[in-house]
Amino acid sequence: MEQTVPTNRPGGVVSRRPRGGIGKTLAPYLLSLPAGLWLLLLFIVPLGSLLIMSLKTCSPASGACTMTWNWGELPSSVSLYHAQFLTSFYFATFATIIDLALSFPIAYWIAFHGGRRKNFFLLMLLVPFFVSFIIRTIVWEFVLSNNGVVLHTLKHFHLLPQSFHILGTSVAVIAGLAYNYLPFTALPLYVALERIDHRVLEAAYDLYATRRAGFMRVVFPLTIPGIFAAFLLTFIPAFGDYVNQEILGGTANTMIGTVIQNSFLVNLDYAGGASLSAVLLAISLVGIYLYARLLGARTIEQYL
Amino acid sequence: MSEEFNVTPGSEGIDPAFWRGLTQRRISRRDAMKVAGLGAGSSFLFANAASGASLPNANVGNAKWWAKEKVHHQLNFANWPYYIDVLNGKHLSLEHFTKTTGIKVNYSEVIQDNSSFYSKIRPSLAAGQSTGYDIIVMTNNNPALGYLMELGWLVPLDHQLMSNFKKYAGPLVKNPSWDPGNKYSMAWQSGWTAVGYNSKVIKNPGNSIEILFDKKYKGQVGMMSDPFELGHAGLLAIGVEPVKSTESDWAKAAKKLQQQKSDGIVVAYYDQSYIGHLKNGDINISQAYSGDIFQANLNSKYKQLKLMLPHEGAMLWTDNMVIPLHAQNPRDAMMCMDFFYSPLTQAVVEYYNDYICPVPAARTELLHPTGWDAAALKKMAPAIGLPTTVTANSPIVFPSAASIAVTRNYFQFKNQEEIDAWNKLFLPIVQGA
Repeated sequence: MEQTVPTNRPGGVVSRRPRGGIGKTLAPYLLSLPAGLWLLLLFIVPLGSLLIMSLKTCSPASGACTMTWNWGELPSSVSLYHAQFLTSFYFATFATIIDLALSFPIAYWIAFHGGRRKNFFLLMLLVPFFVSFIIRTIVWEFVLSNNGVVLHTLKHFHLLPQSFHILGTSVAVIAGLAYNYLPFTALPLYVALERIDHRVLEAAYDLYATRRAGFMRVVFPLTIPGIFAAFLLTFIPAFGDYVNQEILGGTANTMIGTVIQNSFLVNLDYAGGASLSAVLLAISLVGIYLYARLLGARTIEQYL
Repeated sequence: MSEEFNVTPGSEGIDPAFWRGLTQRRISRRDAMKVAGLGAGSSFLFANAASGASLPNANVGNAKWWAKEKVHHQLNFANWPYYIDVLNGKHLSLEHFTKTTGIKVNYSEVIQDNSSFYSKIRPSLAAGQSTGYDIIVMTNNNPALGYLMELGWLVPLDHQLMSNFKKYAGPLVKNPSWDPGNKYSMAWQSGWTAVGYNSKVIKNPGNSIEILFDKKYKGQVGMMSDPFELGHAGLLAIGVEPVKSTESDWAKAAKKLQQQKSDGIVVAYYDQSYIGHLKNGDINISQAYSGDIFQANLNSKYKQLKLMLPHEGAMLWTDNMVIPLHAQNPRDAMMCMDFFYSPLTQAVVEYYNDYICPVPAARTELLHPTGWDAAALKKMAPAIGLPTTVTANSPIVFPSAASIAVTRNYFQFKNQEEIDAWNKLFLPIVQGA
């Protein structure tokens, strides 16, 4: 009898153990189920559809698509539109660099000198962006037009030649991109700067670091992941952007986003649009992959 | 799955027509009118009709079919924005229609551009279902209208129910080249794509389309981003009759336009937004829609904008009322379409609108109204702010014989290959990197 108790007891545990075991092995999966479903339905499925679509041949008339395994569409869309891809790349790169240069001092100041009003200053930075993206861009078009408030006044006082214009130039598009995506740069930078432990900096000063050395050897290295996150968050949407070019651009600076938009909405060429999108996506994924390799996948989630 | 996905990719982005719509006070009804299909090079659409396969509307729209259709006293009408008389949010013309026929009209201004609207109704039609509309309005210079006809997705009209049309339709819209015998369509309104200019800056515009290509006006010219409109300007400039043009003409026209671009004459290729840029002086000359210039002139600030019909030709486009296949209320639709061919109705519509009136007799109605339109015109007058004589005497609404003489029709694509060939020539000009 006495012996049966211990055997029973482990037996009882054993009988419960598989249940507990299954629960334990399943728990992480069950917990990640909502996120997994989300990812599957809203990322994997659309992405797969896009890739499948890019291999099909579609009729613009009836919209009927047949799978033709049209792999040639991918390289042909690149060769046909490589110039627009390059334009997008340059514009997005310039805009991101401008954003980094502008946001770093702002984020630094708020993080280190904002005091109790940090949140207020952050809000001030974000308030303009409560207005719709498109309306903001259209207002810039209005402000910068040849006879608009700014240029008309400057020309009136002969501070600018009569033929000077901003709209229709690459400068206008890059400036528009930089303006519209500024928060995407400023916020990750702020998060990176805000989480720096001030005691580390004080320790550097205690070790006779100059302010310059303190910044270069302590603050800056600690914000590098933030800078990279800011770069990705700004560069990727700017790369695919078409609104700024459509509203502020001219004849010679079509971005790939405009071409994709036209393929879908104007030419009703879904296959062509899909393959351009797939190429765009592949380029963006390379950027994310590089980030993950250089800085580790873990660091990105702190900033998203 | 992918078939479903087909339907929506456009809706992911912001509809460009939407933000264009936000910026314009009274956007005229049309937007980009673009051509289909660069890249995919598919052609089985037109082949379908050619191979003699029976079309989905094979047994629809004949006398027997129409005899079975009854009036349902309701109608869903899809049109472009700001394209019908409006007074305090109401349409007096449609109110009169409802009063006299008992047909309740659900009038929605949902068409912002041909291609994107077509892509929205296409899945329903492909699945053999109703689009939810009994009348839709499509432009003749966009492939969508041709697609609808070729695929058999329209209901042939009942010519028994077109008495007003037979009596009053003008020569520009009767038996048109894009729909011989008005088998499927009746025009809603027409307009020109011609040259608009700022008369304060351009003192001697002349009467040639060459003004768009003149190096003197470097950095002052706007062209349309729609490859179809752009290409036709090129064809007129090289002295070719667009309807009879060949692919080698298109190549020459494209070369001319490419030269115009590389000479720095063109500031940008615009959609509907060109009119704003013409108003604020970003450009001084532009390809322009006739109605836009007329509407701009209604504001005393923009009296300097003028329209020029080049002697080489002014392109005439027409918006057409058609009944999509599987429409729920086709007989109500027929009655409504014919109602808009009464000169009385057109007088009321035209008093608000600024496009070429399909009913020439509406002019005398505007001057001397004879029926229910008298009260309607009187009611509208304070809101319009101009006497009806202005509309009646507008050469843009009731064109002169001289204007009609320079009017040209668009090239009619015979198959998808032609559309693709056109796009391959003219799209790279617009989408230059």
